[in-house]
Amino acid sequence: MRNRKRTGWHRVINGVNISTFLVVLFIGLPLYWLIASSFKTPANIGVDPPQYFPDPLSIANYKSAFVQYDFGVYFRNSLIITLISTALVLGLGTLAGYALGRLPMRGKFTLLVALLMISVFPEIALIAPLYLLLHHLGWLNSYQALIIPYTAFNLPFAIWILRNYMLGIPKEMEETGRIDGASPLRTVWSIILPQALPGIFTAGIFCFTACWTEFLMALTFNISNNYRTIPVGVSQFGTIDVTPYATIFAASVVATVPIGILVFIFRKFVISGLTSGAVKG
Amino acid sequence: MTTISSAAGQPAVTAAAPPAGRPDVNRRKLARMGWIFAAPALIFVAGVTIFPILYSVVMSLRNVNATGNGFVMTGVTGANYSALIHAAVWRYALGFTIVYTIITVVVELVLGTAIALVLERLTAGRGWMMALLLIPWSMITVINAELWGYIYEGTYGALQAIFQAIGLGHPNILGTSTPAIIGMMVADIWKTTPFVAIIVLAGLVMLPGDIYEAAEIDGASGWYTFWHVTLPLLRPTLALAVMFRVLQAFGLFDLPYVLTGGGPGTATTSLAVLGYDAMFKNLDFGGGAAVATSTALLVLLGCLLSLRTFRVQVGKENT
Amino acid sequence: MRTVTSRRSIWPRSRRGLCIAAVAATGAIALAACGSSGGGSTGSSGGSATSGTIVWSASPIAGSGATDTRTVLIKAFEKAYPKIKVTLVSASTNTDTNRATLATTISGGSSTPDVFMGDVIWPAQFGAHQLALPLSKYLPASYFGKFAPGLIQGATYKGQVYGSPLFEDQGFLYYRKDLLAKYHLAVPKTWEQLESEAKQIQSKAGIKYGFVWEGDSYEGLTCDFMEYLTDAGGTVTNSSFTKATLDSPAAVRAATFMRSLITSGVTPNAVTTFQEPQAMNVFAAGQSVFLRNWDYGYSYATTPATSKLTTSQVGVAPLPTFQGESYPGYSNIGGWNLYINPHSKHINLDLTFIKWLASTQAQDILAEKYSEIPTVESVRTSSAVISSNPVLAIVPKTRLVPRPAGTPNYPALSTAIYTNVNAILAGSVSPSAGLAAAQNQAASALTSTSGGGL
Repeated sequence: MRNRKRTGWHRVINGVNISTFLVVLFIGLPLYWLIASSFKTPANIGVDPPQYFPDPLSIANYKSAFVQYDFGVYFRNSLIITLISTALVLGLGTLAGYALGRLPMRGKFTLLVALLMISVFPEIALIAPLYLLLHHLGWLNSYQALIIPYTAFNLPFAIWILRNYMLGIPKEMEETGRIDGASPLRTVWSIILPQALPGIFTAGIFCFTACWTEFLMALTFNISNNYRTIPVGVSQFGTIDVTPYATIFAASVVATVPIGILVFIFRKFVISGLTSGAVKG
Repeated sequence: MTTISSAAGQPAVTAAAPPAGRPDVNRRKLARMGWIFAAPALIFVAGVTIFPILYSVVMSLRNVNATGNGFVMTGVTGANYSALIHAAVWRYALGFTIVYTIITVVVELVLGTAIALVLERLTAGRGWMMALLLIPWSMITVINAELWGYIYEGTYGALQAIFQAIGLGHPNILGTSTPAIIGMMVADIWKTTPFVAIIVLAGLVMLPGDIYEAAEIDGASGWYTFWHVTLPLLRPTLALAVMFRVLQAFGLFDLPYVLTGGGPGTATTSLAVLGYDAMFKNLDFGGGAAVATSTALLVLLGCLLSLRTFRVQVGKENT
Repeated sequence: MRTVTSRRSIWPRSRRGLCIAAVAATGAIALAACGSSGGGSTGSSGGSATSGTIVWSASPIAGSGATDTRTVLIKAFEKAYPKIKVTLVSASTNTDTNRATLATTISGGSSTPDVFMGDVIWPAQFGAHQLALPLSKYLPASYFGKFAPGLIQGATYKGQVYGSPLFEDQGFLYYRKDLLAKYHLAVPKTWEQLESEAKQIQSKAGIKYGFVWEGDSYEGLTCDFMEYLTDAGGTVTNSSFTKATLDSPAAVRAATFMRSLITSGVTPNAVTTFQEPQAMNVFAAGQSVFLRNWDYGYSYATTPATSKLTTSQVGVAPLPTFQGESYPGYSNIGGWNLYINPHSKHINLDLTFIKWLASTQAQDILAEKYSEIPTVESVRTSSAVISSNPVLAIVPKTRLVPRPAGTPNYPALSTAIYTNVNAILAGSVSPSAGLAAAQNQAASALTSTSGGGL
């Protein structure tokens, strides 16, 4: 990294700090608007000029999200479905990523491209046939109704990330295992896997976010309130006549907190998980 | 001279000389193991997606009537596709989706790289910045659309208040075609630039410091270093980001559906919105399936044409 | 190396076999799914005709928790019929999303929900696609006779009635009582009068907007447009829904007036993005003199949590009409019907539930507790209901006009109307050019065999 020593006023006013400030502004202003609006009373949502700071500051929206609407139920459902889907994706994807990245298989390129193509097909066209399939299996309005499609649709991207990361692990690793007399499976488990943890965390974060925010399939397959997820539940706050924007914003702030926490805890891994390739000096 | 391998360039592991046995046998064993490892994931994906995809393709080639007794499909016909090609709104949606994809991906690339460059130089607080960055990206798309709808609203939105304060008059952003499209792009870019930024940052972080020292010794300026040293090394990372962003952008649905409903008129109707409306508003499942299938084919075509990018990504290990 | 090539290809071959087997399996499932979803839709319910559980899909109407309209209705029904249990499935608050979900569900062969609450514009589309049961095959004509005139006609397709009206909705004129009184202006009886009064009050009282309504490119614009169109004496199609009649002088008059509201400054040009929430928010924030909205507008505008106005500031009246036509102007019919899933296994129970929801007891709950407009004529005109709420008091005085939903291709027809009227409002086309385009698109929507297609 470049370490330029800055002196005088350059320590505060310099390119990096100004740019950082601009970035914070770019990202933070709409976020601030989201959070501020979630504390406004519904009557103050429509005033012009808009209240840049809510007055009165009201937590009624947060209360009503949990009390009036079943936000707690939606949160639980989203959590269960997302965690299980992510676990499945990581489990299956790590193995596949390892295979496609480090083992000599024919037709790897075709497979990878095919995986990509599958994830390309527009979701809207798959809803009706998937619904038929799930209905025939009797799995509508259940956790598996979403876990299975989510796993299938997130695997391609996860495999790509994991494979990319696996490529970067020095190839001597397998030799170490072989010299020690370990079977290929043990080699993978005890040597490769720990090295691949950052990549796994990255794929995990991406998968978690994708499942947490998915809307269309959750809307169509899990209609019953007991199995509803956050995106669908929040978008249905209100009645046929009234859309309570303030409550919706409040609920979405709450919905974003887990991901924010996860990302902050695993921030180092998110970066190093995308890093692959070693420097050969 | 330092050799740098990047994500794509690393050759695959080939079986090192085993203590005993022929190299080919080990290679076969490893290949078999590879298939066993990859099979669960592949079967899972295939099992869930192949039936719906095939079903959808078949639907697009028949007369489909959604009835209480299931989809009644009769005949084999290209009528859905010919209706597609003759529909002005489909041609518009196609052009709009392509232009939208190109513009948003390019802007996100530039902005994302710029943000990544800033983050790389940041010594303190990088973790906080990253957490902040990823919050927009982790928001539910529907909520993002509602938020920006609230910002763009013509009589009590924040943006029109700011415009009025600085004397720019009273804009009707979502009610006029071009501003609505630009507004939607801004909402999309705001949400997904962090995704690109993180990927690029990862690529930047692993570049070794000594290449910069070497460039400085040679007397190169910052801009020259970036353009001729950093960027080429970043190319595989950028290619990955671009690839997935393009695929995602082509399926643009949530944002126009909630923010503008495809309007004003049909100004922000993307291919996915068109397909959804055909299927679920008009109950024309054949037409909707035709939209979806043609979209997938076009993206496939585009990807195959840019195969060279893929070869870069997948690497030379297959040769 | 002798056998390398041939042995290396064994694995791919068996993998190929695996793939084929997987596809065949899913294909078999597909065929089975298509075949088995038929049937089970006729005749009497399996099990007893007077006891069991049915599933009712309904969007949130008003209230929450114990005061949720649907919960209150279900509890009252279960009290009257202790042997029948009703399970509520909360449907989407967005009517289009609701239609998508229901079409997928019923087309997919599901037997639940048994009864669903749906939009008044669905009967033709759902009837044509057999997504709803023709109620007239199970209920006598006398049952349908007790509803307000026009409602059953709107629920009829090809001679069969598909929906039972649950509660009705229509457009009203909301106005600032205090401002009209302050400047000694009467409640406007013509659109022209409304425009001039709005301008006056805008300039004198400094209030920002004169009149807000729904002008976004969506179904709500078709509702508003129907009101102006019918006031001017026009129609959208002929009575048999075979010809479009949008290129009439009456239509031009209606569209020109709507556009003039914007150019004269009475209505903000942002109205081309207004749906009900936006128009309601502007009025409730005290920024507009007049508002056109559905019946919930009164309670929304007078509740402190949602509005800055009080009861002394808000008045409600029937809509005005054009100069030279007879007052009151036409209100577009909205509202919700009850439909039965053709795959339902408890048709008798469903009918019992529906009949109860059309009873005086249920209609009174809707009217007096929740200020929804009842559909049963005797309840609409009863003095108890009329005195309970200013909006309900006006209902007997209004004139109703339905949207042209008697064709299965109605969504495409409506799209033809609202996209072009929205373009006229935005000023991107002249009223006559916009209506000519609407006429073309409407004509092709009416004759399309694929539901109006793209």
